[in-house]
Amino acid sequence: MEPTRHGRLALVDLLDRILDKGLILNADVLISLAGVPLVAVNLRAAIASVETMLEYGLMRDFIQLPSSRSQCNTVGCEGLRATMRGRWPDPTDT
Amino acid sequence: MSAQMRDSSHRDRGGRLLTGEALYIYCVAIGDREEPLDLSGLDGAPIWALAHHGLLAIVQECEPKPFSSEDQTVLADSVLIHQNVIDLAWERYETVIPFSFDTIILHKDGKSSRQNLMEWLEKESADLMRKLNDLKNKAEYGIQVLWGPNVLLPSLMEQDAEIEPLEKEIRTKPPGTAYLLQKKLEELTRKRLETAADTYSKTFYNQIRNCVEKIRVEKVRKEPPPKQMILNVSCLQNRADLAALGEVLERIGQMPGFDVRFTGPWPPYSFV
Repeated sequence: MEPTRHGRLALVDLLDRILDKGLILNADVLISLAGVPLVAVNLRAAIASVETMLEYGLMRDFIQLPSSRSQCNTVGCEGLRATMRGRWPDPTDT
Repeated sequence: MSAQMRDSSHRDRGGRLLTGEALYIYCVAIGDREEPLDLSGLDGAPIWALAHHGLLAIVQECEPKPFSSEDQTVLADSVLIHQNVIDLAWERYETVIPFSFDTIILHKDGKSSRQNLMEWLEKESADLMRKLNDLKNKAEYGIQVLWGPNVLLPSLMEQDAEIEPLEKEIRTKPPGTAYLLQKKLEELTRKRLETAADTYSKTFYNQIRNCVEKIRVEKVRKEPPPKQMILNVSCLQNRADLAALGEVLERIGQMPGFDVRFTGPWPPYSFV
């Protein structure tokens, strides 16, 4: 079995790590991040309900390991955001 | 400042002028050469590797406020950009220690954010060097095991010393008694499932642990029924040495009623 970085499940795994883990810089020159955990939970809930995003293959491409530098830019994210604006479900919808 | 000068300065998506008062830090790596990276970061800012005593801090300038947003599309974008930058640094510098999202260093008490960063690097350099050397060629992997209890229930209940006689009783008793016995059966079944889940979870944990250098138990996540997550771990392992782990996970996944999720390679977020 091979590990993957593709798909919604991998994205959730990534979010868990980036938002809740990583090195903590303990210094008083740091901004405190009181609001982050709550936002993270909300985001995960939203991710869980956008299966349609995966149909476009967008999520998969973004967390692929870059094979060339040209892949590492924010143009792809512009496209993702544009698509999400039209399709991101309102969390208050039932 | 003329309008022309303002326009040529760096702007974020909202059109506000960035003052570069703070530094957003993505990760730390081993290296000597201060250099720009061929990549844009959050709000399109250029990425720099700042050097200090054999260590590199991968940073960008930013305003002294977090990038976290209530707008989930904005946050998702930001998280993906954060990982993109770390991925490039990982590729270029072989080993990185990743920071949490939104780690921002301010200027304070007359010291610039760069100065503050350098002081912190100086203080932590021995520890960071040691960690970076320990992490060479390794990556983090996420492993989750799920089961569908319904698939496993028949075999669990079959010939169970307590359950079989109870089922027989329910069939023969009048409705009132039968109802109470049914409740007892449900409770018993629930306990059996719990015990089985626990046993499987411990067994799988040990099998995985034998194939990896480091392992960390994580909280299981809620899954849409009928599946349940019974194990969630983060593992640190040499990227070239995944064959044994892959085989263990393959075998688990082939057991009826069990699913395995295997994600990565990730930078070692859980092991720093």
